[in-house]
Amino acid sequence: MNPPSPAAALVGHIALLAIISFGGVPGVLPDLRDFVVGAHGWLTDREFANCFAVVQAIPGPNMILMMSFIGWKVGGLPIAIASALVTFVPPCALSYAAFGFWDRFRDAAWQQRVRRGLAPVTIGLVIAGGCVMARTGESGWASLAVTAAAVALMLATRINPLWLVAAGGALGGLGVL
Amino acid sequence: MGALFGAFLKVSMYGFGGPIVWARRIIVEERGWLGDAEFADILSFCQFLPGPNVVSVTVCIGARFRGPAGALAALAGFILIPWTVGFALGGLLLSYAQAAVLQGILRGIAAAAAGLIIATGIRLLMPHRQRPVALAFAALAFAGLAVLRLPLLVVVLGLVPLSIALARPQQAPAR
Repeated sequence: MNPPSPAAALVGHIALLAIISFGGVPGVLPDLRDFVVGAHGWLTDREFANCFAVVQAIPGPNMILMMSFIGWKVGGLPIAIASALVTFVPPCALSYAAFGFWDRFRDAAWQQRVRRGLAPVTIGLVIAGGCVMARTGESGWASLAVTAAAVALMLATRINPLWLVAAGGALGGLGVL
Repeated sequence: MGALFGAFLKVSMYGFGGPIVWARRIIVEERGWLGDAEFADILSFCQFLPGPNVVSVTVCIGARFRGPAGALAALAGFILIPWTVGFALGGLLLSYAQAAVLQGILRGIAAAAAGLIIATGIRLLMPHRQRPVALAFAALAFAGLAVLRLPLLVVVLGLVPLSIALARPQQAPAR
């Protein structure tokens, strides 16, 4: 039997990650990066970081778009669309099914337990996703400093995150990073 | 139905940086479809689900008002046009990504955006800071993914059942 084509392998892997992406999409980024950059070399580290950056600069469903751009680089438009669909269709079907069920048992003890048990794990995954993306794309000290400043400003002030993204882009455009 | 499509189209097109913020502004403040508490409740539910959080919020709100058809209308509003526009714009940008200036800009954006993700995680962690067990599981999940570079499936399957088993429902104010 032939190994699956890169396109099929990618779409399959994104589908798997989407279904277990508790806490949201940032948590899948470390695994996805190891898969497409490390294990298969379909994208360079820089290209992966670019896909992540571009979707921050345009409106729209940004994580779905990021999966689309990775799919696009691997297999063109059809794979871009397939990657987008597997990112949100299975999880959406799940949320739709789970919502009514969850609502009915909102005061049950098991539900609080699931909530309190899942939450810390998902939070750890999200923070890991951010840290791995901060180190992606041969980033130097200056860009790590931008990341650290963004964390500090987000936590200490009520600044609109858009300004932080814009400031990062401006520093980068000036060739500081 | 049309209103659901329109509202979520707007959320998506405005949703630079944080679509959740816009979802709240449009659904709660502008349209008055849900109270703050109801919105927060749906959001907290969706944060545990797999998949893009804001997409789950979209589906749940659509479903609450108009059942399956409402969920589809809201989802279509959120995705169809914004995806097409975003894909075209982003594709254009990526095809010029070798240009030095653009390369620098993208590098800066990625660095800042990574910071936003980390800050979001830290903020979510704050309500749990009194619970050593919760902090330990967050640290384990972080280490498994970011330090040991384990596959996500291994981390999730390894930690989630244990974490749920050790969580105590009645202790401390539930938040």
